[in-house]
Amino acid sequence: MEINIPSPISDVVLLIGMVLVSIGAVCDLLASIGLLRFRNFFLRMHAATVGIIGGAVVPLIGVGLIALSLNAFGSFTLPFTLLSIATASFIMVVAPIATHALANAAYRASTPKPEPLIYDAIKEEGGGS
Amino acid sequence: MIPQSLVDIYLMIISSVFLLAFTLYTIRVFKGPTIPDMVIAIDCLSFDLAVFLGLLSVLYRTPFLITGALLLALWAFLFDLFIAKYILKKLR
Repeated sequence: MEINIPSPISDVVLLIGMVLVSIGAVCDLLASIGLLRFRNFFLRMHAATVGIIGGAVVPLIGVGLIALSLNAFGSFTLPFTLLSIATASFIMVVAPIATHALANAAYRASTPKPEPLIYDAIKEEGGGS
Repeated sequence: MIPQSLVDIYLMIISSVFLLAFTLYTIRVFKGPTIPDMVIAIDCLSFDLAVFLGLLSVLYRTPFLITGALLLALWAFLFDLFIAKYILKKLR
């Protein structure tokens, strides 16, 4: 299952992969700085979303494209690309579920106080579910 | 045609940026005042470690590290769900 892409298309794929990995690195750095500088748990979740979607989903697709264009692993190249794209879509489905569950638990325990709170819909409607 | 050595240098620079981000995440893990702060920092850390495994496997030319990335993402998801369940169970 050796695949040989012609050279100009391969260069374009390599450039797209490098741009995606660069976007991922920048998003990751910004998210880590934001996770340090925000003052509350519910504010830090914005930075965590940037770090997960921008810093993990996008560069995984980029890594797959780089490996596909370099033909780095011989006959293992196409499974590597497919598996990295599968991991990216898995993270994209799974990370919002985990973050919402954690935010729900933190709100109900009220150990980190939800401080800049303008309208509390759960309290207005009587305790939520 | 872009030479392969240039791509290797690019991957090394990118992985140094990732290592800096990991250091900042680790500071938040040890400093976090409450449990959800630490958990969300560990969550970001493990999802980005999955990306770092992909980068290392391209850099070292071994294709088998990417299977570890999938399992690492699954582990982070289960970790979040179990901590949320534990916090909710402690309330009752």
